[in-house]
This record gives sequence, structure tokens and C-alpha cells, in this order.
Amino acid sequence: MKSIAQNAPGKTVLLMGNEAIARGALEAGVRVCAAYPGNPSSEIIGTLAKVAEEMGLHVEWSINEKVALEVAAAASFAGLRGLCAMKQNGLNVASDFLLNLNLTGCRGGLVLVVADDPAGVSSSNEEDSRHFAKMGDLPLMEPANFQEAKEMTKLAFKISEELELPVLIRSVTRVSHARGNVRLDELPQSSPKPRFDTSRALTAFPALPNHKILHERFNRAKKMFEESVFNFYRGPERPELMVVTCGSGWMYSLEAAINLNVQDRVGILKLGTTWPLPENFVLKHLKQADRVLFIEEVDPFLENNVKEIYAQNCLVLGLRAFFGKASKHIPDVGELNPEIVSHAIQNLLNISYEPRPAEYALRAHESTAELVPARALGFCAGCPHRATYWAIKVALTLDGRDGFVLGDIGCYSLGMGPSGFGQMKTLHAMGSGTGLACGLGQLNRFGLEQPVIAVCGDSTFYHAAMPALANAYYNGANFLLLLLDNSATAMTGFQPHPGTGYTAIGSEAPVIDLKAICKVFGAHVEVVDPFDVATTVETLLRLLQKEKGVKVLILKRECALVSAKHQKRLYQVEVDQELCLGESCGCNRLCTRIFKCPGLMWDQAAGKAHIDEAICTGCGVCAEICPGSAIRKEKA
Amino acid sequence: METGEKINKGLKALEEKVFTQDLCAICGACLSLCPYLRSWKGRVVKLDDCNLEEGRCFAYCPRTKIDLDEVYQGIFGKNYEEIEVGPVRKIMMARAKDPLFTKKAQTGGVVSALIDFALREKMIQAGILTPRDGDLLPHGQIIKGRKEILSCAGSSYVSGPTLEALNRGPWKGGERIGIVGLPCQVLALARMKTSKLEKKTPIDRVALVIGLFCTWALDYIPFMAFLHERVDGHSIKKLNITPPPERILEVTAGNKLYRISVDDIRSFIRPSCRVCLDMTAELSDLSVGTVEGKEGWNTVIIRTVVGENFLKRAKKAGVIETQPLPKDNLSHLKEASLLKKRRALDTLNENGGIEKAYFTLSANLIKRILSESKGIAT
Repeated sequence: MKSIAQNAPGKTVLLMGNEAIARGALEAGVRVCAAYPGNPSSEIIGTLAKVAEEMGLHVEWSINEKVALEVAAAASFAGLRGLCAMKQNGLNVASDFLLNLNLTGCRGGLVLVVADDPAGVSSSNEEDSRHFAKMGDLPLMEPANFQEAKEMTKLAFKISEELELPVLIRSVTRVSHARGNVRLDELPQSSPKPRFDTSRALTAFPALPNHKILHERFNRAKKMFEESVFNFYRGPERPELMVVTCGSGWMYSLEAAINLNVQDRVGILKLGTTWPLPENFVLKHLKQADRVLFIEEVDPFLENNVKEIYAQNCLVLGLRAFFGKASKHIPDVGELNPEIVSHAIQNLLNISYEPRPAEYALRAHESTAELVPARALGFCAGCPHRATYWAIKVALTLDGRDGFVLGDIGCYSLGMGPSGFGQMKTLHAMGSGTGLACGLGQLNRFGLEQPVIAVCGDSTFYHAAMPALANAYYNGANFLLLLLDNSATAMTGFQPHPGTGYTAIGSEAPVIDLKAICKVFGAHVEVVDPFDVATTVETLLRLLQKEKGVKVLILKRECALVSAKHQKRLYQVEVDQELCLGESCGCNRLCTRIFKCPGLMWDQAAGKAHIDEAICTGCGVCAEICPGSAIRKEKA
Repeated sequence: METGEKINKGLKALEEKVFTQDLCAICGACLSLCPYLRSWKGRVVKLDDCNLEEGRCFAYCPRTKIDLDEVYQGIFGKNYEEIEVGPVRKIMMARAKDPLFTKKAQTGGVVSALIDFALREKMIQAGILTPRDGDLLPHGQIIKGRKEILSCAGSSYVSGPTLEALNRGPWKGGERIGIVGLPCQVLALARMKTSKLEKKTPIDRVALVIGLFCTWALDYIPFMAFLHERVDGHSIKKLNITPPPERILEVTAGNKLYRISVDDIRSFIRPSCRVCLDMTAELSDLSVGTVEGKEGWNTVIIRTVVGENFLKRAKKAGVIETQPLPKDNLSHLKEASLLKKRRALDTLNENGGIEKAYFTLSANLIKRILSESKGIAT
């Protein structure tokens, strides 16, 4: 693909939803872009970072979402256009600032893109971020396709400047991560010089007059949205069923209507500006049909807000029947797809329709099922986290006091599952593992005898665990914090962070030393290489015996996927077929039955283990755990 | 039971029948055989499940179902029938002649002197003894010299996984091995020797087994916690129990000597010891213990031809000197040994019946033990 920054008005290019959003920001003349990575939003800032120098932008991976929003807002305060992107959880972190920013207002255009992850495919939770727009009386738009993703973003900057309010754009996984054609427009050639206007302070205090101003701006937004091109109706004058939808639901609804061949019976009201809702526009279309079905992902946001408008106007409108999540025609959790929408429409219109004949579906399943190998959700071959959790498992089992691991957000969250030997016992927000440890680490006075361990990745540590660690020392909590330092924000695509030594645009940056921070925060700090399993187990056992205070063990080993890019493999690993004990007493397949690195294979016929050369990364950890010394590692 | 259904004789059964019943004697026979069992602070810990139907861990354990007749047949060529102190060729008193051994030892220094002699005479090339680490935690170790032998003298009244050293090695191959073990360890060695499973361990090269008399051992973690509460933060250097009738545990910590009544530590006796039939390590080549009322001497029971010949050589070489064991001491020894057997049977009866015990013993023998132990003052 040619650069996202090509100035080729009228040209149509294939773009990912997140790239389209990035292009929209470029066309709007954005100057400052900041984010903390999080699926499915990461590619927005990732894309802009690649063209930052060429386009003269400041693009940064901020330490967390709140700081990212503050950085983007700061640009706006100085009259420049700022963009901030995050996932749904990120908005929880940034919300404290956002719900003050709505009252102070902003100056240059400020757009906040929140990419929701319906079904929580790559998240700790499932959450609908749109409620924050309602909570903060902030304008919200939801793109339904790739062209809209670009156009809305671009328009959002303009609206933001007109209303002096940040504008939210809510995307979802299937908009952010799918690709489609986008027609490009011109890139602006100039940008204003920044200046912070010192004549008017930006403060939410006093709240009452500022809240009033916010409501005035909100009402202007409502008026503005009445005319929006992103809201439209497609269908007959008097449909039997009116589908009201937004975002990803638009495509699903359209596809369902076409497949069912009911375009003459079903109308689709597609809304792009979902907060505040264009009340008159909605009312006009509610008049057309007696039955209304809502299609949207995650929460019944449109559903409830449209019902609210109806309730206010029901005497004029007369009786209407509403269907959706409340009526259970649409599932109240998880992602949608055309089939789910189709089922709801069939149900309401009493149509029988089979997308695929049952017999064909069965045959298709039978002939393809065995082509797909069963794979558990797990760590990559050579992942340091597997070695870490192995050591944790051994140490906690030996220790015998039923110690447990408080988890955090990152690849190592998989420590909950078989790949981490089920060691992780809690998972909440960024930094919560250490925060919970602050609390559990106080309970020995009440008789808690179990050792408390928290795990935290390097990026997560900078993001939200630092205050928790400071709290632990200050308040005298007793626990062991394991910092799984793989020198990357690995789960979201290896974005750099303050510990990596370079920035979002690849320029050199000072390294903030994890060990030094932990020491300053009063912790007893040690560092081990998790690939040295024996030393790691020994160190863990020793630190678990230390009763008082905060202990930090940094498990330092670069992410295997990052290493593979710049470094040759550490070891050549092979299984000596003579020595391999296989299923016999003395081993019983430790490597393939319990350790389960994907680089190890079990040869059923020979009754021996093998190395899968294509997958093995040469970490050599399996050679350490093999009881028969059959797995050999030699320096590669 | 359905025909064809296999009885598990692997780790699963070991866990159910021994670990969860708190019957592990921490002898070490199941350790370093596989990656699933490890010892930690006086306990054997299962790291992962093993689904094998049969395993050496179960087969070697001195607390899984044992046919005593089969084991005694395997070692002595006769059934389990000498209910007092096990098979005996000779009983005597002995002590080491070299003060190097008597000075350091708790009694007559016989065990240290004999192992030292066996090594010097190249009767064995390695000894497996039980030194203690800085925290008094015992562990098995391969030893080859006098200095190491001396470091193993004495006791912390805690049992340790001595036999792990046999399984773990490292062995060059060909070494003959001498082992000093507690009764549970000597029983495990006999089980290893007589097991029909593929061995992969150097059990067939064990040329000398010296058993130690034992009435009980303590559970390391709670015992140490108890001691540490009483020694004012000093690190504990030495433990010694004074002979009867006083029976005081002397704890040397810092520069102080703390005295604790033995009755105060009885609650830390391992449950496994409470069901043990064996005070005198009956399955050894020769067994060594104290002599009541005779400080500086050991009781020695010779049980096998190997043991007898070895002791003859040691005596001839002037390593030890012997004297007949006074009659009163012999009868005391037999009473104490019988009393341990009876207490084990009583405990088993309280815990659901002797028929559910880890060993098989004929009704006749049970009756004999109970009747012959009657009237022994406890």
C-alpha cells in the first residue's frame, strides 16, 4: 500500500478502518496524535506514527490513556488540532480528565476515537463506551463503513471547533479492522501557529455556569446533527418493520435484508450521529412504521435513547412496538453478524429462510473440521511468560501455603489458562494486580497465611502499577511483585514504552529503568532471566519466605517475537531419540503433556518427543525441564 | 470391581493413599525418579499429575501396600516372624576407637567409623548419608571422604529424603554404595531391591545398608517454627535430646543453651511414624542405636552375612571395639521395639482398622505382638 499520507485527491485506495480514521485526521490537518495502544484501536496511532515526520506531526505512545488525552487536549488548548485514540477500557482510565474537559471546553479541534471490542475478543471486558458521551454531554458519531470512518473523523474536528467541545468517535472491531475502498481528499498545506490564550482560564470551576454552557453547546450539537449526511433512511414509505441501526449494524442489516429479499418490506434507519440523537429526524421516521427493531453492538444505547424520544412523543405517534435486546430478539452480549440480524427479521416477519441447506452445512463441517488443528489459546513458542509461569507453578507448589497470583493486563493474562498452568487467579484493569496486592498484602494481620504474588508487564507497570507500588511501600503491604519485563507492549503489537529506549516514531529516547524505579519506591528488587528456570524457582522460593515488605522480582527476557526480528536464535534444540523416556515411568511426556510449548511435538507412533523446527525459537527452556536429559540445546 | 479395571499403582494412588493421608515418611525413595515429585522443607510435593497406571514412586514407597513376608523373603529368605527386633545374627555393644568419631558423635561413633572404614577399604566407593543444611533441614548426599562423614554425625530429630541421593546421583556407574538410613528408608531400599519394575537406579550396587534405630521423627516446618519462637531470634546450631529419664531437648542457639521438655515437641511427630512397626531398622545389614544407661556405646544388631563379615573386618582392623550387650539392656531393647509395634497397631486400630493398614500382617502375628507387648511399661 502506498503511504497513507499521499496527496492524491479523488484516488480510491483500500484502507483498514483504523487507517481511514488516521487519513481523516490527516485531511483535517491534525498536528498532535497520542494514544496508549489497545486492540482494536492500535493501528490509528501506529499508522500516523509512520508518517509523522513526513507530515510534520507530533505522534506519541503516551504512558496511559489519560495522559494521551491530556496531550491531545493540550494541542487543542493551543489552537492546534489533536487526535487521541484508545480502546473501551482506555476511556475508563481517561474519563476523569474527559469529564472535566467537557466543562472547560477546548479550542482547536479535538477528536477522541474509542474503538470498542464487542465480545471482548482481545480485552479483559466487554463494554460500551458510548455511555461516556451521554454522561459528559459530548457529541458522538459512529462510522458504518470505511469511507464514513474517514469523513466522520474529518468532520469531527470541524464540529469540535464550532462547539468548542471534544467530539467522540466510536468504532468497533469489525469497522476498525476490516478493509474497504476509501476515496481520498486533499491534504491541507498549512497549519496555524500554536498559542495558548492566557486571557481565559480553562477550568471546570465554577461548575454550574460551565455545566450550563455545556448544555447550550450540546443543544447546538443536536441541531447540527439533524442535518447530518451520516443519518439516512433506506426503504419503502410504509415498511412493515423499521430497523434502526448504527455502526457495524448497518452493513449487517443491509445484508440481512438483501439475503431475505425483504427490501420492500423492511426499512433501515441508519444513524451516524448517535449522541445527541437528531430527535426530529428520528421522530419523522418513527411515524413511518409501527414496529421497530434495533440493531447495535454491545449495549442497547440507541434502543433506550430512541425509546426515550418516543416516550416523550407517544401521544402524537400512537402505539409502537419496539424489538431488540430488551425483547430478546437480539442477544444482549457479544458481537452481531448478518445471521443474527437475519434471524431477528425472520422471526418478526414470520419468514422461513435457510442461508445454507442443512445437509450442505453438515457436509461442509465434516469435510473441513479435521483440517483445522485444535489449538488452545496460549503463549507463543519461546515466550518468556511460559517459563515464568512454569517457575511460579513450581515455586508455589513447593512452598505449599496455597499462594496465588493476582493478574494484570497483557499477553501474560493468558496465565489464567492452560498455557500459564492456571496460575493467575484475578484479572481486572491495568495495574489492578498490584493494587489488589496492596490490599491482600495487608491481610496477614487478620490471619491470611497465603503468600501473595502480583504479576505485571513492563508497559502495564508504567501505565498504572507505579502508583500502586508506591502505595504498597507507603502503607506497608507485604507481597511479591513479579515484573514480567519483555521489553515491549507485546499484546498490542510491540509498541514502544518508556522502558524501550525509543519513541513511537522510532527516535531514540531515554530509558526509564524499572529496577531503579522500584528501588526508589522502597522495594527489595532482584532481577532474573526466566529462561534460567532453576534460578528463577530458587529466587521465587527465597523471596516468598521473606515475610515483610514489598519484594520485586524483575523477570527480564525480551518477547520472543521481538527477538526473532533482530537476533538469531539462542540455541539449536533437538530431542535425542535414544534418551527420550516418552511415556515411561520417569517422564510420562512432561514436555508435551504438561509444559506444552508449541515447538514440541509428540510422535505417537515412535512414542517419543520431537522438536518442530518450523516453530521452535530456540529458547532452550525445554532442555532444562527434560528429566531424561534427552532434549539437548547447543549454542546456535 | 469390574473385571479388567486396573488398580492404579502410580502417582495417583500414592497421592490418595500416602500424601493425602499424611503418611509420607519423607524417605526420598520416590524423589528424583521423575519430574513430578520434589521435596521442600521436609515434605514431598507433587508438582503435576501423572496418569501412569504403575510407577516406581508407588512401588518403592514404605507406606503403600506392602506384603511384609514378600519383602523379608526377598532380603532374608524368610517370612516376617521375628517380632521383637527383626532377624538377628548377633547383638552386641560397640564403639569407635578413634576419638575423632566418638568426640563428634552423639553416642559411640560406630556408624561414622564404619562408613569411613568401608570407604577406606574400598568395600564401597560412595556413601549416602544425611547431612543437614544451615537451617537443620536434612537431605541425602553422596559422600566420599572423612570430613563429609563427620559433618553428618548427630541428628536434628527430623527425617530427610536421604534416598533421593541414590536416585539422583550423579553416578559414574560401577560404584558400590553404602547407605545409612532410618527404618522407613531401609524398608524402602528393600522394596527397591525386590521390585519387579524396571529400575534405572543403582539399587543393585548398594553393597551395605546400615540402619539406625528410630522411635520417631518430627515434622520439619512446625517443629522449626516452634523452636524459632523460643530462641530469641538466634540461629539454631545444634539439637540434642538427653538420655532418659531426663529426656530434655537441648537447643544450642547463639551462645545460649535452651532446654525444652521432649513432651512439648511430641505433637510434631510425623503421623507416618505413629504407624511405623520398625524401631531397629530390621531390613538392614546391620543396625545401630544407643545403649540405655551406657554413654559412649552403641547397640549393634548384625542381621546379614554381609553385615557380619564387615563388622569382623572392622573389628580386626581396630576400627571398633565390642562388648556383649548386658542382658537387661537386651530385654529393654526388645521391649521398646515391641512397644513401637504395638503403638503402631493401636494407632491403626483407632484410624479405621489394621486391615486397612499399609502392610499385610497375619492375624496370628498381630495377636502375638499385642500379647507379648502386654505389661511393658510405656
